[in-house]
Amino acid sequence: MNPYAFATSALTSGLVSVLEHYSSVFLLGIVGFIILALGIFRINKKITAGITFAAMAISLPLLYFTTTGPAVSMFGGTIIFNNFGTYFAMVMVISSMFIVFPALQKINLKSEVFYALLLFITVGMIIAAFSYNIITIFIAFESVSIGTYVLASFGKDRRTLEASIKYFFTGTVGTAFIIFGASFFFMATSTFNLVGITHVNSSQAFLIAMAFLIIGFGFKMALFPLHQWALDTYDGTENSVSAFLSSGTKILAFLIILRVFLVGFSSDLQSVYYFFVIIAILTMTYGNIAALSQTNLKRILGYSSIAQAGYLILVVVIVAYSSTSGLGTSVIDFAIAAGMFYSLVYIFMKGGAFITMNVISKEKIELSDISGLAKRSPATAVSFAIILLALAGIPLTGGFMAKYYLFIALISGQLWWLAIIAILNSAISVFYYLRIIQQMFWKEPLEEETFNLTTWTKSPVIISAIIVVALGLLYAMFPVLISTAGGLFG
Amino acid sequence: MFLLAIFILSILVAIGSFALMKRRREYSIIASAAVMVLTVVYSLIHFASSYSGGYVSISNIALSPSTGIYFSTAVTGFTAWLLILGTVIIFIATLIIRDSKESKTIYSYTLIAGTGLYGILISRDFLFFYIFWEVVLIPVYFMIGQFGGKNKDSASMKFFVYTQFGSLFILLAILTLYNFYSVSHSGLLTFQMSALLNTAFINKIPVLWKDFLIFGFLFGFLVKMPSFPVHSWLPDSYESAPFPGTVILAGGLSVMGGYGLFGILLPVSGIFSTDVLYVLIILGIVSLIYFSLTAMFQQSLKRMLAFASAAAMGFVTIAFGAGILEAGTISASAYASANIYNYTTFYSGILELSGGMFQIVAHGLIMAMLFASLYFITERTGKQTIMNLGGIFREVPVLSSLFLAGLLASLGLPGLAGFIGEFSIFVGSFQAIGWVIFFIIFGMIVTASYHIWAAQKSLFGPYNETLGKIRDINSKEISILMGLLIMIFIIGIVPNLVYVPLVSYIAHLGGIGAL
Repeated sequence: MNPYAFATSALTSGLVSVLEHYSSVFLLGIVGFIILALGIFRINKKITAGITFAAMAISLPLLYFTTTGPAVSMFGGTIIFNNFGTYFAMVMVISSMFIVFPALQKINLKSEVFYALLLFITVGMIIAAFSYNIITIFIAFESVSIGTYVLASFGKDRRTLEASIKYFFTGTVGTAFIIFGASFFFMATSTFNLVGITHVNSSQAFLIAMAFLIIGFGFKMALFPLHQWALDTYDGTENSVSAFLSSGTKILAFLIILRVFLVGFSSDLQSVYYFFVIIAILTMTYGNIAALSQTNLKRILGYSSIAQAGYLILVVVIVAYSSTSGLGTSVIDFAIAAGMFYSLVYIFMKGGAFITMNVISKEKIELSDISGLAKRSPATAVSFAIILLALAGIPLTGGFMAKYYLFIALISGQLWWLAIIAILNSAISVFYYLRIIQQMFWKEPLEEETFNLTTWTKSPVIISAIIVVALGLLYAMFPVLISTAGGLFG
Repeated sequence: MFLLAIFILSILVAIGSFALMKRRREYSIIASAAVMVLTVVYSLIHFASSYSGGYVSISNIALSPSTGIYFSTAVTGFTAWLLILGTVIIFIATLIIRDSKESKTIYSYTLIAGTGLYGILISRDFLFFYIFWEVVLIPVYFMIGQFGGKNKDSASMKFFVYTQFGSLFILLAILTLYNFYSVSHSGLLTFQMSALLNTAFINKIPVLWKDFLIFGFLFGFLVKMPSFPVHSWLPDSYESAPFPGTVILAGGLSVMGGYGLFGILLPVSGIFSTDVLYVLIILGIVSLIYFSLTAMFQQSLKRMLAFASAAAMGFVTIAFGAGILEAGTISASAYASANIYNYTTFYSGILELSGGMFQIVAHGLIMAMLFASLYFITERTGKQTIMNLGGIFREVPVLSSLFLAGLLASLGLPGLAGFIGEFSIFVGSFQAIGWVIFFIIFGMIVTASYHIWAAQKSLFGPYNETLGKIRDINSKEISILMGLLIMIFIIGIVPNLVYVPLVSYIAHLGGIGAL
């Protein structure tokens, strides 16, 4: 779309409407700049954090009231406001909110920069959540990525810097692939819009675009052959930043993968299915098996987060397979809703697990460092155990319900062999989650204890455990998700 | 509704026990006793005389109707007895917890396991059935891991991963049912057992899926029993677990496995082909013989009893296979009118089916008694291997007699509960499997021999002087064991108390259907 047409369409669709639908974006952006400005006056970081949290908390109802309802398409289909996008936007705002207070302890230098960046990242996420155009998706995603490169370098020692640099370089390579893939996409379809592609000029270019975009977004979501940066980055960065990187940005990458490959490549879902079924199996199996032999606690969580990405990607597989084999929309909607529910639970499971690392005041956290936590703080240990059991998919937690819906989707999508692989994987994963639980509950604390048990470190763990359990009991939510799932397709 | 109130009470007391700072022992004993007494009273009033088969619905609360999630619960004559057994086991387990400063949480684990067990037995919705099924595992895992003996790390890990693996197959089977129900009923989603457990519906499922489904359920249930090829978690877990954990493993988990067979699969017994039933009978016989022979060579009494427990559950598997095989030969109308006084139908499958359920109840009570008395012996002597004990009858005659009574019940002495179950299965399955019955006889002989041998070596003979002076059990402890012994004795001499509701339950299922 040329700039002139863009400008006219912006005016015709009404500036007021844009302002209204983007009000949460404006709110968060403006508050971000205010916080930066407040930094000059050396304001207490607690106040900064409070303002950030409040802005995000206000943006949630704002998002809900301004963007739900019948779908509104703007700028010729570049941006589509629908309930599906709103759901993911809210999930991602929650993922940012989740780390505001846990980060407070460790961010001593230039806290206003940290929080302003967090707000800008959230803005990028919200924009990405409503984008149906490769270029807007790319720009929004880059704004998130660049923000997270800086977040990753917040911290004391050289390890965080190393982690951040690694993250930056691999991230840039991923970006290059995305751009390259996007240009092939344009070559093949003559449009950057994802919805309503009717004609493909060149099927070779279309396939190359698919491969390049898979590599690019695969980097961002840390799928199997492209995951190596994630381990070093999660291990090296500040715990709350690892929590954000492994939950918020991963969910964003998941949403974009759903959108780009299921909507943009809807004319060749057969290839999407073949690509992703292989990636999903490799990712979850590799993540789970590699985690078994790890002794570094944050790396175990890192590998588990790779495995979880493999489960999430199954949604793409199910939808692609059901569409090509004509199984009907109810299966597809169910699968997408399973992915939506998994995303929400995932934030509290994975984010909660990484945030628990705050109770250990060490930079490099070994498995043995957590031994005897149950003796020092039973509530924290029980909460962390709940989170780990949720990750393993044990009932009475949200993690179980998420996997349960996913497995139902797999079986109703007639991919029972894949369901067995996924189930075997979740049986394997129990091993390393239990190892952590064993350390916490029935090992004596180390000689020189490294626990940092304050209200600030303990309460986020307990709260996320409560939310994880509550989500497991919220049976009424899923039908609502099923009814919004169709929004993925515009 | 009354039973639902008891269930909610048991949830509340389990959660409340975590908040308690002191007096946990008294609290959990009173709590589990309250749940037990209420359940026993309710079950006896409703099921001892006036039960005529079928499901007595307790609740049906819609949680998410469009995805088919209902909290629906019901009881039958069979589950009523299992509920009595389950609550008794949990009560006994709380009584034999060694009280110490560290053992704070073990009371809560016991109560949670009890709640899970309760939930499994009353759920008529597969989602909740599965949730409670898993809820039982976690506290037992923590019990073994936190309070276990040697090898507790590997034992607890093995226990959890193994049984979890079995459960996942149950989950897959449930999801398969759910999916095919929705396919064949134009998108209607439900987890209700009343809809999903329908022989005609399951028989219409494509054959590969149906086989997968049967395999999934049987695999998951046999792991819990435990049955022969899937038992390797058993010895380590039983040995490492603290005594309350062992009681829950022996009583509670086998109840889960047995309920899976007779509560979930028996109503749809028409789905099994004769081959599957023969495989089950063979697995049962192999379990009986193999576990009995293994038990013979155990040094540790605890390990020996663990294998004895698994061997006794072999009878349950045999009963299930043989009973369905044989009952398939009688007409549906004769089946539906079956009762305990009608010899033609009673001896055509109904006897061993009800015998199998009876055996679950009897086995749970006997194991609770055996492990409780072994706990008292271990508490006093610090020993639990057969060689290190010896002649303790001289020092502790009352305790030794009670332990002996438990062993006799376990080997199937007439007049006690163990005999009734084993004898019914033995007699009943003769018509189905013929000469193969000799393997069962062989197993029973082995069972008797190692029980007697263990009693002889550990209780009688010359006293092992290194044990020093040990005191006999006090009146409180006697009352625990006597209470169990009386129950074993009562249902041993008045078995109709249990049989009548069980037979009504079976008859009301309305026939096995064409095989």
